Amino acid sequence: MAPVGPRSGDAIFSSIDRVNAELFMLTYGAIVRQLLTDLEEVEEVNKQLDQMGYNIGIRLIDEFLAKSGVSRCVDFKETAEMIAKVGFKMFLGVTASVSSWEADGTCCSIILEDNPLVDFVELPDTCQGLYYCNVLSGVIRGALEMVSMKTEVTWTRDVLRGDDAYELQVKLLKQVAEEYPYKDDE
Amino acid sequence: MVREVAESCVDTMLMEMVAMYSGRFYANKPELAARRIEAIGYQVGHQLSERYTMERPRFSDHLEAIKFICKDFWSEVFKKQIDNLKTNHRGTFVLQDNKFRWLSRVSIDPSPEKETEDPLSTPGESKAAQAVSMYLYFPCGIIRGVLSNLGIPCAVSADISSLPTCSFVIRVKA
Amino acid sequence: MIVCVAVVGHQNNPLYIQSFTEADDALKLHHIVHCSLDVIDERVNNPKKSGTTLNEAFLGLLYPTLNYKVYGYLTNTKVKFIMVTTDLDVRDTDVRSFFRKFHAAYVDAVSNPFHVPGKKITSRTFAESVTNIVRSYTFN
Repeated sequence: MAPVGPRSGDAIFSSIDRVNAELFMLTYGAIVRQLLTDLEEVEEVNKQLDQMGYNIGIRLIDEFLAKSGVSRCVDFKETAEMIAKVGFKMFLGVTASVSSWEADGTCCSIILEDNPLVDFVELPDTCQGLYYCNVLSGVIRGALEMVSMKTEVTWTRDVLRGDDAYELQVKLLKQVAEEYPYKDDE
Repeated sequence: MVREVAESCVDTMLMEMVAMYSGRFYANKPELAARRIEAIGYQVGHQLSERYTMERPRFSDHLEAIKFICKDFWSEVFKKQIDNLKTNHRGTFVLQDNKFRWLSRVSIDPSPEKETEDPLSTPGESKAAQAVSMYLYFPCGIIRGVLSNLGIPCAVSADISSLPTCSFVIRVKA
Repeated sequence: MIVCVAVVGHQNNPLYIQSFTEADDALKLHHIVHCSLDVIDERVNNPKKSGTTLNEAFLGLLYPTLNYKVYGYLTNTKVKFIMVTTDLDVRDTDVRSFFRKFHAAYVDAVSNPFHVPGKKITSRTFAESVTNIVRSYTFN
């Protein structure tokens, strides 16, 4: 069956169950702070936030595919656009943009100007090595892995560290060919 | 305009937070995992109470503060009010939510054995029930954080013996 | 003009204090703030004596001195906000609106996940917004 054209992120966001963003950002903040207390090493906290994001991404991809009407067989370039335009909008209510494509189309940047995770956050001097939003890079990595794209996601700009925007570099490492047989189920 | 995010963002984040503490960090020390999860809730409650009481006059007694949790606070967080409030007038309050959102939305364990949800029937709680109670330390921490910031030190526990109803028992410390 | 503002925790622990004068009178202003804490406790414990509505956050004029007027505000979470001004002809509605903005800035500051409750507020964002709020109010 031909996939129905993807719905816009705005349309999905306005139709799904939403909650107050304060609960979301304060809960995330409390988790980060508790991890810093329990793990002590900032590096280890970065790792756990990424791991948490990865697990969340694995769960959210199904909801993303179901609600967006996006077909699975898109190339990496289209996928990156989908994450930025539809994914960020339908889950976080913000839009992101894609830029800085490498010539071979395997590496790009996703730029967020607005980020609901950080509304009240000011990093203390003691955790300058912290990638506060590391959960987001984990989510992207986890979600893409479920659609057969192995990626490496790293922060290249971070407002909390003094930059002017949030920028993630997404690098496609390996694309596993999609197994077609179970397409029939859709 | 009030900023919002998809509810599934909060749901999945909470699930992963619980999985991280009770599964990865303290798999064999549930009481330590519980304490951390409660502490995370406490911080959230403490901060939310500061925000949500901003526009209101000061509460004159404990009951007024508890009613604030039942009505305004619950509505902000869960888009519904607490269904029933009981008190013994000696510092114990029971807040009953007939369909606690975080339990109805969260699939802790897909195991279909409904009867294991009755804690009385199984002396060694099932894994699912254990996961649910671990999860409930978060809202218990939130409530304790709210009340403590309002100057009411207390202990909070949850009772899920008749799901999907969830009762939060608040014992105010003298 | 507002010459001093302060935020004080529920155990009368100072959370933030800032004076806005060129003159070397910080010590005097701190003393005024300190004295006002007792006035607030007195007001709250004997609500009938005060002119303000029962349990309203805004406590009104705490006391006038020769050169200053001192106003107070007490939140549900027992945090005290104090403002000292040299303006003598001040409307209550303006002071109320000042405290509401001051309070909102405080709530954002303590919503930072790294803020430790009861500890001094060191946030630069908070200091900046308080300065902006103070500058935007001249009561005369």
